[in-house]
Amino acid sequence: MIHIKNRRKTIKTIGAAVASPIAMPFLNLAHAQSSNIPIGVALPMTGNAGAYGPDMAEAAKRTTELINKSGGILGGRKLQLFIEDSESSASVAANLTQKFINVHKCQSLVGYWGTPEGLSSRPIAIQNKVVLMVSSAANSITEGDTQGYVWRFQMKATDWGTVIGRSLQKMGYKSVGVMGLQNAFILPIMRSVEDQMKGSGRTVTDSLIYNPEQPSYRAEVERIFGKKPEVVCCFSLLPDFVSIMKEVYRGGFTSKVISLSIAADSEGKFLQAVGPQVAEGIRHFQPMPDTSAPGYKRFTKLMGAPESKLFLFPPNTHDQIAVTALAMERAKSVQAVDWSKQIINVCNGPGEKVDDIVEALKLVRAGKAVNFEGAGSTCDFTNSGDQLGRGMGQWIIENGKNNFISYEKP
Amino acid sequence: MLSFIVLMSLVICFSAILALALNFQWGLGGMINFGLAGLYALGAYACAIFILKLNMGFLSSTLLAMLIVSLVCALISIVTLRVSEEDYFAIVTLGVGEMLRLVVLNEDWLTGGALGLSGIPRPFSSIIPSDIYIYFFLAAYVFVLFFCIFLINILARSAFGRTMRAIREDDVVAATLGKNLLWARARIFAIGGLLIGLAGSMHAFYYQYIDPTQFSNIVVAYAIMAVIAGGKGSNFGVVIGSILIMLLLEGSRFLKEIIPGLGSDQLSAVRIIIIGVGLILVLIYKPNGFMKEYRLSVQ
Repeated sequence: MIHIKNRRKTIKTIGAAVASPIAMPFLNLAHAQSSNIPIGVALPMTGNAGAYGPDMAEAAKRTTELINKSGGILGGRKLQLFIEDSESSASVAANLTQKFINVHKCQSLVGYWGTPEGLSSRPIAIQNKVVLMVSSAANSITEGDTQGYVWRFQMKATDWGTVIGRSLQKMGYKSVGVMGLQNAFILPIMRSVEDQMKGSGRTVTDSLIYNPEQPSYRAEVERIFGKKPEVVCCFSLLPDFVSIMKEVYRGGFTSKVISLSIAADSEGKFLQAVGPQVAEGIRHFQPMPDTSAPGYKRFTKLMGAPESKLFLFPPNTHDQIAVTALAMERAKSVQAVDWSKQIINVCNGPGEKVDDIVEALKLVRAGKAVNFEGAGSTCDFTNSGDQLGRGMGQWIIENGKNNFISYEKP
Repeated sequence: MLSFIVLMSLVICFSAILALALNFQWGLGGMINFGLAGLYALGAYACAIFILKLNMGFLSSTLLAMLIVSLVCALISIVTLRVSEEDYFAIVTLGVGEMLRLVVLNEDWLTGGALGLSGIPRPFSSIIPSDIYIYFFLAAYVFVLFFCIFLINILARSAFGRTMRAIREDDVVAATLGKNLLWARARIFAIGGLLIGLAGSMHAFYYQYIDPTQFSNIVVAYAIMAVIAGGKGSNFGVVIGSILIMLLLEGSRFLKEIIPGLGSDQLSAVRIIIIGVGLILVLIYKPNGFMKEYRLSVQ
């Protein structure tokens, strides 16, 4: 039993601990802010999507440097990036978003590669009235009332399925097996492909959804590949796709395999993990920039890479920073509540088509209307924040190399 | 910055309650629970489902979630009565935890599957003005945390607490002294389950969006670290351990501002190293944790 003296001490301690948060708003703990305009950048440097973060971070830094060197925005104010690792995790991304908003006072949050990171940060951004620009595909990111604060710089998940399904029909496959990771953006892709196959009179021999982080996928592989469809669509992420393809090779299954580039390429990591024999003949699809567009060519120069180099996600980050700068300049304000309303104006036009952010900023400062064409796409948006004009690339792995086949829009 | 400290303090509150639950079950009761992540998810999802799908109030949802997790924990302890060795019991709890996590991931109709559940309202958010709401929220969470510590301390210092420690040290001896092992184990695990359900509900209210990826096994790792660093068996120590883990996790993000030239991709690697090194140092210099378990002493 607690001694009376200790009990009083305990109650006083608890009372003080509970009272102190109530006293906090009355303490004047404001600190001086610099004239720099902070932008929060949450990217996956580790975790399932860790392969993509570093290049996206580099794109963000170079774009920001370009804008700052050309005079910044709003009378010479410079953009300042705060780049953090989202660890491909929803709760980490939510904590990061809070840090960006409450510590660094960011009005623009960019990056957000994965669907869980985007979904967990979405309510925080809307509540705090800051703009969130994501590279996530899941339809639900932009569903409902986002109040104009959530913008997707990526093709919607259902559109991925539309392009893949159409390609399967063109290839003439009569029977298809479908397997996919239990994941918010993969399920709509799977359903879209299955519906198209069934709708065009083809046979879906079997379809299954598997769980992540399993020690083995042998049972799933046996079930889908065992029915000997002509082709199997395997919508995965890198770790599980490596495991699945090794099982397919070991089992001697002969069905062709179609996947996504985030699994079957992943910046070369898939080939490194399985070797050319296992990877031979796999076709993979991924939304990508139009590499023939002047905006993309300008971006590759910015990154110091040859024009032939393909960047899947970094152009999105470039466009996110560029659109933020343009919209702020057009609104003459750094407050998201003002400049979020200008995103459609600077991206969709009407106005002069321009793919160079420096030129675009000069025009906006001069009071002229622009229609910004980005590096990752034409940067046109619907009113709900979904991007238009992004297409999908198709590759095939042959002799240990990824060979580009085609580029197609939904 | 103040708002960020307040928000991280909120995370510390429910993380500490989760660690308290583990400390109660394992530190005091000797029943290690590797299924913590799955049970935590059960608490969070139960609370969210009651609020979003059945339109129940936050208090009744929280209490029901606590009860559900408690019942599941009691069931686990009853069916594993024969599995008295710590290692085998740990494996069973791991299996249960994984089962729960997979149910949450795959039952789209109930849990939203991989998409999760969003739009979870915070208690009294429509009544209290938004500019001071977060401080009220923190005050409430701190109160709940200290209330839990107070109650757990009373239990730990009671006759039941002595029974728990006896079972932890040697359950055969405890049984020969007439202690009802089945009843005691069920109570230990069930009381811990109440705390896990509470922590899960608080997690759901804080993030307002829950999905299966938030309840991976790293949750168990952090809880174990908090218990070991704080002092196994010590409730206040566990709170200190939770604060230490949060400081390492979130405080290391500010290293970029201290170390010039540290790139963002380098920082993510350095953070993970710092967290590991920090824990190793704690174990070297404080192998029994920061605080000792309460022991009644005669002077």
